Amino acid sequence: MAFCKIVDVIYVALPIRPLRAFLIRNHMERCPECQARLLSRAEAGRLFVSSDRVGMPVDLWERISSQAGRGTPVPEAPPNPAGAGWRWAAAMGTAAVVAVTGFWLLREVEKPGFGPGFVGAADRFQIDYVNVGGAPAQTFVYQPQGTDTVFVWATKNP
Amino acid sequence: MEKGKKPALDEKEIIDGCLRGSSVSSRAMVDAYGNLVMAVALNVVGNRQDAEDVCQETFLQVFRHLARYDPSRSFKTWLLTIVYRRSLDMIRKKRRFSEFSARARFEPAVAERGGNPHPADPEPLPSALLTKLSPRERTALCLWANEGCTARDISVVLACSASTARVYLFNARRKIKALLENDHGLLQNS
Repeated sequence: MAFCKIVDVIYVALPIRPLRAFLIRNHMERCPECQARLLSRAEAGRLFVSSDRVGMPVDLWERISSQAGRGTPVPEAPPNPAGAGWRWAAAMGTAAVVAVTGFWLLREVEKPGFGPGFVGAADRFQIDYVNVGGAPAQTFVYQPQGTDTVFVWATKNP
Repeated sequence: MEKGKKPALDEKEIIDGCLRGSSVSSRAMVDAYGNLVMAVALNVVGNRQDAEDVCQETFLQVFRHLARYDPSRSFKTWLLTIVYRRSLDMIRKKRRFSEFSARARFEPAVAERGGNPHPADPEPLPSALLTKLSPRERTALCLWANEGCTARDISVVLACSASTARVYLFNARRKIKALLENDHGLLQNS
């Protein structure tokens, strides 16, 4: 009895779960006096509703089946042929659009303004002089290689 | 199959059927385990209305995630784990709602915006004593008393170690016994 009290004091004073489990396993579950201070299975059973007395809700299955879609068997996810067809059609359509757009862009390259014909226009570019602040300025003309763009850079003479 | 009768299919057949999407097997599962789920939910949550919601959500989750069930383990324990988790979710939801409705009492504007409190739950826990236990302790005690679960089974359901489950169960048994003896005097010391 005294030992039970000591165990009980240790149990209450040290809320360490492994220690408590050790005390339960090695003493409290085996000691008749400690067991007498615990609720028995029969006593506990009277506090709870048992599964044979609970009674299921009348419409439980209807509620579940309506939400889970179990009223009809669920197919085991074979690939949907119609969906696959649409995906193929979309892919082919996209490829066709890309091809037509590319072809159109390439044809545009042959037109004036984008091709070698316009290079002549760049050659015709001409500056007689550039004034900055009323005085002739130091002027640089750049044309990046392979383009028709011309940059003119003018700085005041020192 | 009529409700309440034992299912003609065994557990494995029911599970296999549910995995194939058979409505007959799904119905058989609800018939076979509905009472168990409902009882545990009612004992943990504490009122019938919420327990029915927990029951419904449990089966929905079972059907959605049945493929994750490991057949080498007990199906009943797996099912009880889901019931327990759904019940905890319900308790948390109710707690949040209680906090909100308590706030709404002091802030009428909150109530007007939709804080209409639920009617009082008509069927509280079978024993008011059980409200003295934490949900974990209540679940441990319920599974031990009603379903004959061992500390190891309870530990799987509660997602803790067997030692911890043993402590929960022990605390629950001791608390209720003390309450019965001290406050109610219903039981006599042997």
